Formats: sequence, structure tokens, C-alpha cells
Amino acid sequence: MIVDLYQTPLRYGSAYDELSADGVTPRPHWAHLMESLRAIGSEELGRRWGHAERRIRENGITYNIYSDPLGANRAWKIDIVPLLIAADEWRFIEAGIIQRAQLLSLLLEDLYGSQELIAGGHFPAALLYANPAFLRPLVGVKVPAHSYLHMLAVDLARSPDGKWWVLADRTQAPSGSGYALENRTIVSDVLPDFFRASNVLRLAPFFRAQREALNQFAECSNPRIVLLTPGPLNETYFEHSYIARYLGFTLVVGADLTVRDRCVFLKTVAGLERVDVILRRVDDSFCDPLELRSESLLGVPGLVDAIVAGNVKVANALGSGLIETAAVMPFLPGLSKHLLGEQLKLPSVATWWCGQTYALDWVLNHLDSVVVKPAFPSRGMEPIFGAELRQAEKGKFADQLRARPNEYVAQEQIDLSTAPVWDSGRLNARRVVLRTYVLNTGSGWIALPGGLVRVAESEGSVVSMQRGGHSKDAWVLWDSPVDTFSMLRPRNEPVELRRVSLVVPSSVADNVFWLGRYAERAENIARILRAIVPRVRLAEEADLGCLIRLHSCLESRHSKLPKSKNRRPTSLELEQEMISLITDVKRPDSLPSTLLEISRIGGTVRERLSADMTFLIGQLRESSQIAHGTQFLDYPAMLTACLELLSAFSGMERENINRGLGWLFMTTGRRLERAIYLTRQLREITIPLAEHDWSLLECLLEVADSSMTYRARYYTTLQPLAVLDVLMADGTNPRSLDFQLSHLVDLYQKLPRHVPEDLQAMRVALELLRSFDLRELEYPLPGSATVGTGLDGLSRLERFLRELERLLPSWSNNLSNRYFSHARTFPISIGQ
Amino acid sequence: MIYKIVHRTTYKYKYPVSVANHVACLKPRSLLHQELAQSELRIQPPPATRTERVDYFGNLLCFFSVQEPHKELVVEARSEVVMQGNATPWPKNAIPWEEAARSLPGDHSPAGLEAYQFGFESPRIRMRPEFASYALESFTPERPMPEALLDLTARIHKDFRFDAKVTNVRTPTEEVFRERRGVCQDFAHLQIACLRSLNLAARYVSGYLRTYPPPGRPRLVGADASHAWVSAYCPGIGWLDMDPTNNVVPSNGHVTLAWGRDYSDVSPLRGLILGGGAHSLKVAVDMEPLDV
Repeated sequence: MIVDLYQTPLRYGSAYDELSADGVTPRPHWAHLMESLRAIGSEELGRRWGHAERRIRENGITYNIYSDPLGANRAWKIDIVPLLIAADEWRFIEAGIIQRAQLLSLLLEDLYGSQELIAGGHFPAALLYANPAFLRPLVGVKVPAHSYLHMLAVDLARSPDGKWWVLADRTQAPSGSGYALENRTIVSDVLPDFFRASNVLRLAPFFRAQREALNQFAECSNPRIVLLTPGPLNETYFEHSYIARYLGFTLVVGADLTVRDRCVFLKTVAGLERVDVILRRVDDSFCDPLELRSESLLGVPGLVDAIVAGNVKVANALGSGLIETAAVMPFLPGLSKHLLGEQLKLPSVATWWCGQTYALDWVLNHLDSVVVKPAFPSRGMEPIFGAELRQAEKGKFADQLRARPNEYVAQEQIDLSTAPVWDSGRLNARRVVLRTYVLNTGSGWIALPGGLVRVAESEGSVVSMQRGGHSKDAWVLWDSPVDTFSMLRPRNEPVELRRVSLVVPSSVADNVFWLGRYAERAENIARILRAIVPRVRLAEEADLGCLIRLHSCLESRHSKLPKSKNRRPTSLELEQEMISLITDVKRPDSLPSTLLEISRIGGTVRERLSADMTFLIGQLRESSQIAHGTQFLDYPAMLTACLELLSAFSGMERENINRGLGWLFMTTGRRLERAIYLTRQLREITIPLAEHDWSLLECLLEVADSSMTYRARYYTTLQPLAVLDVLMADGTNPRSLDFQLSHLVDLYQKLPRHVPEDLQAMRVALELLRSFDLRELEYPLPGSATVGTGLDGLSRLERFLRELERLLPSWSNNLSNRYFSHARTFPISIGQ
Repeated sequence: MIYKIVHRTTYKYKYPVSVANHVACLKPRSLLHQELAQSELRIQPPPATRTERVDYFGNLLCFFSVQEPHKELVVEARSEVVMQGNATPWPKNAIPWEEAARSLPGDHSPAGLEAYQFGFESPRIRMRPEFASYALESFTPERPMPEALLDLTARIHKDFRFDAKVTNVRTPTEEVFRERRGVCQDFAHLQIACLRSLNLAARYVSGYLRTYPPPGRPRLVGADASHAWVSAYCPGIGWLDMDPTNNVVPSNGHVTLAWGRDYSDVSPLRGLILGGGAHSLKVAVDMEPLDV
């Protein structure tokens, strides 16, 4: 008698249901969870689920789906009901996957070493020679014993009779362990009481062991370990940054690394830093364009030679992708007996590599009962289900198999087991696959207790994150109390006190610099919009001119206002332009686009930002989406809310970030951006204002949030020179131009390797700015047509601002060239 | 016969290259009939690192990196090679080609495995039915393998036009086959593709070919070029070399530099550069016979 919530999986026919054998009574290890779920109740579960989903969005947990029209950064989909695994069953699985890791590791060692298995006929030579993932330059390279596999992932499925089968092995850069960790954090929070009461084996010891294993792997003290990612567009980029931060490694892309003197170095803003270990998420053939795929932009030229020289270690070893194919599966039982003297504990799903004549014949005779896949994944081919082919297609497909048998592998289709999934108020049965992980500690192997459960999207049988499936956490329910060690709160680990934080790779400096600029840009846009929006509908003809001048301060290249010189835009046109700037995501200079850019750049440096900052960036991303049916009248409040978030962001930038190099670049970006638009706004004042334009002064004070300062000094009298004093010359006003330039001078001279000429250029600009004595200037007052010497000063000031407007972007370019550009240039292949 | 070979490669860049990593495959192999008496690799600007390595196929590679800004790179390989007798002599009779194809997969002897690895697709070479059917006109049933090989070599020479203008190092073999023209590298790739499509083992040989000046004219220094031809494995005999570009069996005039599955395994000088902008390449080869 259970869970009225659960819809029995009748429509799955014979599939094994993880929760219940008869659809009525839960299996013993599920009973407690089902009681808890019922006690919590459907409504409360729904509430917690909503909370978890929000947290996923706010934490920016994403999984990029290449073909997704929504593009990169799709929110990770996770289910709140964990898959439960009983202790005894886990012991069985654990022994099986550890044995498999030992076996595959020995297989790699042989194939990249003496190749005795080939000569002895234990492994088909053709499967080695035809495999594009066999990286010949790595053969015979001396690596530490048993170090080909640092981590192995094994995909498991359960057949109707309750047996576990291996569906696939991930041998080169297994993904998903970071998502498993994140799932654990979220799901254990949704079901905290059950989690605490149930002796769930913790994940943290596994990750601690991973960090220790990589430290040892380096064979030197205080090694520098980097995580090499293909970059933010990769499907699992979120995980790369998550793991890098969790384990304390530097996240890098190929262009961040360079090989000098047969050693690998990280390009940082302070210079080159030696790298000892690379934990890679780049496919092995892409890792070195010099010796592997020459067209690769993701790798590091000379990396293979550095490995050969023994100057860097790579995990998993380059070349380990060789056996990441189901085609090796038919040979594992024999290899297990030969290499380990043991029976294979966990069977692979029945597999035929068509490169063997008898296997090809069998497959051709049983096409209806198998799924055919590429033997070499790099060939890229969708699985073909024999039963789904029409008769005419079958003959053609059979010819294809006969023509290139080495290229194909066929597998029996397993009727996957089902597990309960929370789905709009009830529990539904969905097919699942369990991805497990084994780690090489250097002195043995350990398994991650649990893993990443992938859930079929609907009732179909294909389980694939690329096809938009969900994920689940897997809880191993232990039969005794468990170690509750947490990486986030390690207890007995001695630490060395250090003041120096992580090094700053050039590409990171580049990104935080632009994060600073875009955050400031968004604020400027929002402030100008908030000054215009409430006024635009009420605007008299005269005020409209001011608003249009204020709008022109945005320097919008994609403005929708008519460009005709003969007539001024109408207030309706300005209103339309406001709507466009506030809502149009496709317009690059709109507010939502700028917010999304902050989110994008924030994503690339995620592992450098505090949790609060990541959260805030998530909220900024959310605020870029305007709710349906929002009225024009709602805009000012929305803009204010957005400004609050941006202020929180700049507050954190000031108060929550160490004054390291990263901060220097971020703040330099912000000051520079503010100086650029401030200069543009000040020029509006130095071109003499006509009387009807004087309300522009009020707007500019408001945009600079300096109305109060002004009023405290000058009451309500608006005078252009007084406004100039507040916004330009007053060094105590953090929104004045003087403040920006003097800070840029201070910040820049703190940068390592700064260019004296550029420092001097900024100093000169600051001195020039200070050389203007506003008291000596004369501003043409409305009505009076004075042409005095003071006016001359005003036009000199105007010229100075114009020149500053040219200087600042080029100064920014120089900074880019000095610190970032070598992270942006890719090596070019020649002679190939 | 002794040859003095100078192979000079010059890269000129529009802008300075800040860092360059290169691999040179320019040192002739030592073989039964070919002895490497002397060899040296001169590199300008002087490289910061330089290491030699024997690759998977037994070729001698030189890895070097230039870490100072440079607008010109000159790599000059100078070697002295002594040719003694001929490569594997071509017997008239040997096993039928089908038997060669059949026996390869089961031959686990070192020589058999060494040969078998050249029977598969490689980065530049695909196995295709159109290559197989072209080859089958020469590989008639039960025909002894050497005879069939020579026939295919002659047909490629006859059916394809030497034309240096239509192809480049990246032209796919399929296109060469369609267009019926190309250069030595293309013809070698094509013949290998034909042989592998019949499940025979064939490898790509890079090297030099002695050229003869027109009668009465002096030998032009630097006018020679690097060359490429094919070697096929015939069980029981060994590797047999053939040159489809000239329809000859290589002998004393062909100096072997290196071999691999296709050009990509043995390109003479490749590299990755940072910066540089547009570049130009000049290659000059001089092969001077020193008669003793």
C-alpha cells in the first residue's frame, strides 16, 4: 500500500521498476522515502520543487545543448526524487566498476606500450589500426605506472530481470561528476530530514581523493593544476567551472597555455607560470595541433612533446579515448581472464563489432533486434534502430555495413528500468540510466557512491542529456553510519596560511575587465532610461529636445529614432525607442542585451566569483526578461529594481572582492566605462545650452545621482558651470570625471608590467582636466549674447573632452593588447 | 652512388611571429640499400629548444621551437646518402593478390602486423568502392600481386595528367580521381586508396628523385623537388616500391626520406605559429650526385 502519488509503470510492460516490484508495494529500501514524501505532501513538494528550480537558475547551473534554439546556457533539469540504491547492491556495482577500471587501464597500457595483446590475438589489430582515436605519437611514451585513467565513467542500466549491464564506458574526459555533486547539494536540501536520517553515502570524500590524486600525480610539491576546458560553449562548461572552483584548480582554455622549453606555462597578467598537471575536458585529439589534429583551436601546440619530455602530466592521459567505444566490449570477458585472471563481474550489454566476420554476419541476420552505432564516435552518426528501418532501407544499410564493417558496432537494446520522477504534482515512471565514476587514487581505485542518473525525456527509450533529458541524484543507502566529511567544511586538513590568491590568467583578466565595463554600461543605460521614461509622455515640445539630447548620450548605434535632419522625432517615436531599448533582446545596445552580456561574461569567470555574486548575476539575467503584459507605466519601477541589483553588484565589487589583480581589472573596466560616457554627457553642457534646454542639466544630475549634492550646495538654482563643477571637477564625487581619471591612474600603476607611456597619457589627461578653472569660464546665459574670453575657455574645455573621448577607447585598446591579446590569438597551422 | 641533398625551406611572414613550434621530417631513413652518411639540420633563427624523436613509423623527426620574434624562418636539411644496390627486387611471380589481402588480418608476426596497419583509412585517405573498381581492372582474379601492382602503376600514369596547378596539399583524393590530374602526392594517395580499398596494405613514401638535365644542358642547382611514391606489402616478399608519377620502379635514383599512412604523417616541415599574418613559402631542393 503506497504512495497514491505514484502512477504504476504499466505502460512500460516488462521493464524493471526501481521503486516497486508489483506497482503497489515499495521495495524495502524505498519504503522510508515514500513515507517521507507522503508526509511532506504533494503541495509542499511542489513548493520545494519550485524553490529548487529557482536555485538552479540563480546558481546558473546550465547544460548547453548544441542544437537548442534557446542557445547556450540552458538551465540544468533535475528531479527531486533520488534514485535509491541499497547497500548490498552498491557493493556489487562498486566491485564491478572498479574491476572494469583496472581492466581498461591495463588495456590502455598495453595498446600504448608493448601491444602484446595484439600479437597474442587477445585484441583485434584492426580495431586498433582503424581507430582514429589511436594517437600514434603517444605510443611508447613513458608515463607513471597505471596512470592512463585518472577517472572512468561507466553507464549502467538494469534489465527486466533486475541485472545491471554496462552500456558505455567514458575513458577520456568523463563528464557529469560535477553535476552529480550539484544535484546532491540541491536534492539533499529538498529532502533534508530524510537525507540526514538515511545514512546516505557522501560524495565529498571522492572529490577530496581526486584532488589528492592529482596532487600526487604531479610528483612535485605545491603543483599548479589547471582544468583545461574547450570553453563556455561546451555542453558541460558549467561543470568545468564548478569543479575547478570546488577543487581549487585554475580553469583555463587552450589559448591560456603555452609551451616553452618543453614545459607548459599558464599565461597570466603577471607573466608565465609553470603548469604541472592538466585535468582535461578537451578531447584528446584536439589537445595539440602540432602533433594531433592540426586544425584544432582548443589545444596547446607542443603539449605532446612536453608530455614526452615528462614535464607535464595530463589526466586522463592523451590517447585514452582509444577505448571509448562499445567495439571493445565483446573482448572484455576474454581480456579480464587474461589480464586479471578473473571473470568480468559486470557484463556489458550484448555487443557486436562488425569488424569481425562472424559478428557482421550475425548483425546482418538480426538487424531488427539491434541498434547500430559508429564504432568510432568521432565519425559522428546517429544510432540506427534496425527495427525502425523500412525493408528497402535495410538492404541499403546492410550494404553500408558490408562496405565498411570496421566502422560499426551493434548492440542489443536493453529494456531500461524505470524510476519515479516528480512531474507536475505526481510521481511518474521514467526510464533511467546510471552513470557511475571510478577514480584512480594512485594506490588503488575508489568509486563515487551514487552517480548521475539520466532520465528519458518522455516515454521514449533514448536517454540523452543532449536530447533534453532530466537528471536525478543517486543515493546509496548504507547499512551503517557514514562519514559526513564535506569539502566545503573540511575538518582536520592542515592548511598553509596564504595571502596570495589564485593567479589570473590573461583570458580571465580580459573577462573581468569587460564584466566591469558591462556592469557599468548597464547602469548608465538604466539611469538614462529612467530619466527619460517618466518624462516622455508629459514632455512639451521644449522638454522633448532635452530628452532627445539625453538619449543621444547613449551613442546608440541601433537607434530606432528617425535620422531625418529636417524634423525632430516626435514624443511617440521616442516612446517607441524607449520600449525598444527596454525590451528588445535582439538589439545589441538594449538594456536586456547588456544584462545578458553581463550574465554571459559572468558565466565564463564563474569559478572566480563568490556565490552571492553568481546569484546576483542570475537575478540580473532574470530581470532581462520582461513579463508579458508589462505596461509603459511599469517601466520606471522596473528600471529602479534593475538599478538596485546593479548597485548591489557594484557594492559587492567594492566590499566583497579581494584587492587582487582580478579586482584591479574589473574596477579599471568600470572606471573606464564611466569615464567614457561621462565625457560624452559633459560635452552636452560645454556646447552652450539654449534656454529651453536647461532642464537637461537636471536630467544629467539625476543620471549621475548627484542631484542632492548639487542642491545642498546651490539650492534650486541650475547653473551649467555649477553642474560642470559637480560632475566634472569635484574629485570627492565618485561620479565625477576627475574621480574616474585619478582612479584610473592609481589602478593602472598597480598593474604588473604596465606601460609607462600609457600611465603618462592618463596622468596628462588628469592634469589637463584639473588645469581648467571653472570660475574663470563664462557660460553664455540665455538671452545675453556675450562673447568674452571666458567663452574661449569653454570651447577649449569642449575640445579637451572631445580629445578625451578619443583617448579613452584607444587607451582601453592598449590595455587589451598589453594584458589580454595573447590570450585571444590562436596559433596558425602551417605546412600541413 | 652517393647523393648530397640540400632541402631548404623558407617561410616569410608579414608580421613578426612571436612563438613557433615546428616538426621537421627531413632526415633520410637508413635502409638496407640506403645508408645515411651524414645529416644536419640548420635552423635560422636559432631555436630555443630542439629534440629528436623517432616516430611511430620509425621516421626521424626533429622538434624545435623558436621563441624570439622573427619574420623569416629558414630550415635547411643537408644530407649525404649512399645508395647500395636496389630496394627489394621485384619478382615476376608471387602469390595472387587475393591471397595477400586474405592473409593480412590473421598474420600476427611482427612483419605482418607492421604491414597490416597500412591497410586502413588514414587522415587523408578513404576507402571507396570507386577506387576498388578502378583498381580491379588491374587486379584481375588470381593475378600475381607484383604484376597487378605494376599494371595499376602504369594505368595511373597513363590516365592521370601531371598538373601542378589544380591541386594543393589539401585536395581530397576523391577530387583527384574525378579530375584525373594532380601531382606526385596526389597520385601516391590515389594508388594507396586503390590498394587499401582492396584490403591490401600500402604506405606513402616521401623522398627525393634524381632529375636529369636535358641533354647538353648543365644540371640546375635547386631545381629538384621533394617527391612521393608508394610502397605495397606483398606477403612472403616484403615491401615493393612503385612510382605512379613516373611509372617506374624506384631504384638508385629515389632516396627515401620517411614513410607513413599518408602525407599527413610525414609532411617535411609543419608548425604552429603565433602571429605572423600572411606568409609565403619557398622550397628549394638540390640533389647532387657525387660520383666516386
